Amino acid sequence: MSSGRAHADRRALAAGERRFAILLVAPALLVLLATTTVPIAFLIWNSFQTINLAMPFLDGFAGLANYRQMSGDPAFWHSLQLTAIYTGSTVVMQLVIGLGLALLVLQIPRGQWLFRIFAILPIVLAPVVVGLFWRTLMFAPNFGMIDFATRALGLGTVNWLGSPTPALVSVIVIHTWQWTPFAFLVLLASLASLPEDLYEAARLDRASAWRRFIHITLPLLRPAIVIVIIMRAMTALSAFAAIYAATGGGPGTATEILNLYAYRISFTQLDFGYGSALAVALLVLTLAVSGFLFRIRTAGSGP
Amino acid sequence: MTTRAITQGEVILEGIVKNYGTFRALKGIDLRIAPGEFFALLGPSGSGKSTTLRVIAGLEVPDAGRMLVDGTEMTFAPPGERNVAMVFQNYALYPHMTLEQNIGFPLKMDGVPKAEIAARVQDAARKVRIDHLLARRPGQLSGGQQQRTALARAIVREPRLFLLDEPLSNLDAQLRLETRIELKRLHASLGVTTIYVTHDQEEAMTIADRMAVFRDGEIMQIGAPAEVFGRPDTLDVAAFIGSPPMNLIPARIEGGEAHFPGWRLALPGAPAGDVVVGVRPGRIRLADDGLPGKLLLSENLGEAMLLNVDVDGTLVKLRLPDVSPIAEGTAVRLAFDGSDILLFDPETRRRLDWPEMESRP
Repeated sequence: MSSGRAHADRRALAAGERRFAILLVAPALLVLLATTTVPIAFLIWNSFQTINLAMPFLDGFAGLANYRQMSGDPAFWHSLQLTAIYTGSTVVMQLVIGLGLALLVLQIPRGQWLFRIFAILPIVLAPVVVGLFWRTLMFAPNFGMIDFATRALGLGTVNWLGSPTPALVSVIVIHTWQWTPFAFLVLLASLASLPEDLYEAARLDRASAWRRFIHITLPLLRPAIVIVIIMRAMTALSAFAAIYAATGGGPGTATEILNLYAYRISFTQLDFGYGSALAVALLVLTLAVSGFLFRIRTAGSGP
Repeated sequence: MTTRAITQGEVILEGIVKNYGTFRALKGIDLRIAPGEFFALLGPSGSGKSTTLRVIAGLEVPDAGRMLVDGTEMTFAPPGERNVAMVFQNYALYPHMTLEQNIGFPLKMDGVPKAEIAARVQDAARKVRIDHLLARRPGQLSGGQQQRTALARAIVREPRLFLLDEPLSNLDAQLRLETRIELKRLHASLGVTTIYVTHDQEEAMTIADRMAVFRDGEIMQIGAPAEVFGRPDTLDVAAFIGSPPMNLIPARIEGGEAHFPGWRLALPGAPAGDVVVGVRPGRIRLADDGLPGKLLLSENLGEAMLLNVDVDGTLVKLRLPDVSPIAEGTAVRLAFDGSDILLFDPETRRRLDWPEMESRP
C-alpha cells in the first residue's frame, strides 16, 4: 500500500521535473526556431513563388517553375561549376599546405607557440577585410606586392583581378590564405598527440621516413583530416564576403560562385523567387556534401 | 643458458655516456652480453637502464663510448640497420592495423613477398598463441594479448637481438607470472640474445641468465642472479636486491667478534673496525640470546611471518616460517650465524671479504 503510494509520488515528481526542464529549454529553443528554422522554411516557401520586385504584377505561386528555370539556366550551371572548382581547390590546398606546415613546425623544438599565435591572425580577420586587403595591397596592378614581385622577376604585370582566370586563381588564393591556418592548427594538435613510441617501433621495423608518413602518420591523422575537410568544405561552399569584396563575382561572372549568383539574382535583379530557389539549391548541395563526408568519416572509424 | 650453440648476438658496450642537457643519464656503461644470453638490466626508475636499452636499439645516440654487435661497430647505425627487435612498455602497436598487419609490418618494410609474410605471421602468432585473433585490431584486445602481439612482431623478423623494455609492467600480477615463464620458454626455443629492462628484481632474478644492477647512471654489479643475491658488491646493491632486501645493521669488529649493542657474534678473522653487517631476513631467528629489540609490526604473509623489529634505531626485518602471532611491542632477541652474514665498509660502501669468509660454502 505504502509502496504504491511512494511509486505514485515518484512519478509525480518525475513529471514535475520534466515540465520544469521543458520550461528551462523553451526560451532557447524558441529563439533557435525563430532565427534558423523559420527563415529556412520561409526561404523554401519563397522558392515556390514568383516574387520579382521589378515585375510585381507577376507575383504569385509558381510551383516548380523556378527550379525548371534553374535547370535551363547556363549561368546557374556555370556558378555551380565555379563552386566545385573553388571548394575543391581551396580545401585541397588548405589540407596540403596546412599539413606540410604542421609537419615542419612539429620539428621545431622550441617556440611552436609563436607559430600558433601567428596562425590565428588570418582566421580572426573579417573576410571582407581580407578581400579588400588582398585587392588593394596584394593584387592591385602596378602597386600591389604580387605585381611588384612579378615585375621584379621580369614576368611583367598581370591584372590579377581584372582577367577571368587570374581572378579565379586570386580568390582561391585569398580563401586559402585565410583558412589554411585552421587546417594547420587542427593537424598540428593532432600530430603532436601521436605517440612517439609508434615511430620508434616503426624505425626499428625499418620503415623509412616516407613510409612512416604513409603507413602511420596519415592513417592516424585520418579523423582530423576528415574533420578539416568537412569544416573547410562547408566554409568554402558558403564563401561570400571575401570574393564580394575582392572581385564582386567578376570580371563578368568569372568568380561568381553559386552563393554570389543567388545574391545577385535576389538583390541586384530583385528576383527573390528565383534567388530563393538558387539558395535552396546551395543548401541542398551543402547538406549532400556534408552528409557524404560524414559517412566517409564513420565508415573509416569502424573496428 | 640454452644448450644450442649460438654464435651471433654478442653486444659490447664500452664507456657509454649519455647526457640530457646538463643531466648525465649514463656515466660510462661497460657491458658485455654473450650470444644467446638472457640479460636483465635491473634498477630503480631513472637509473639509466632504459636509456641503455635505447642506446642499444639506436633510438638514442650516446655522447661518448661505442657499441659493438658481433664485432661490428654499431654506435651510430640507425635503428633499422641493427637487426634488433624491441617490445615497448606500452607495446607501441599500430592502432589502425589488424594484428596480422601489425606483425607483418616489419616484413612488409623489408620487401618480403606477400605469401611469405602471411606464412611467417601465422607462425609467429602461433608461437605466442594469438593466431585466432589475427583479424582484430589492438584496441579490441586485452593487455596480455597486446603484449603477445608485440612479442610476435618482434620474433617474426628473426632478429639477432631482442630488446624488452619493462614488457610485463602493464600486466596484472597473475598474468605477469604466466608471461614471465612464457618469455623464458620463448627465449629457450629461439635462442636469440635477449636484453630485458625491469625495475622488478624478482622478475630479473627468475628470468635472467645474468643481470646488471643500475643506479644513478652507473652499473653497480654484473653477475648471475644467484651471485648478485648471495654476494652483493656494495651496500646499494645489498639494499636493493631481495624482497624485503638484506638488513643492514651497523656494528664494530674487535678481536674476531662483531659487537652489536647488547650482543656479540663470533667472526673469526674478520678485519677490525666499523662495519655494516648484512643479513637476509630469512636468516634471522628469534632466540634467547641475541640482538635485543622491540617488535614494531608483524605481517602475516600466509605461509610465513614477517617481523619488523626496532634494534637500537635500526629497522630489522626477519621472516619466520611460524605464523603464530606475537604481540606488537614485545621485547625480542634476534640471532643469526656468522656464516650467514656479509660485511660492508661504511666508508667505501663496498663488501669486505676476509679469508675465513671466502672459504665458507
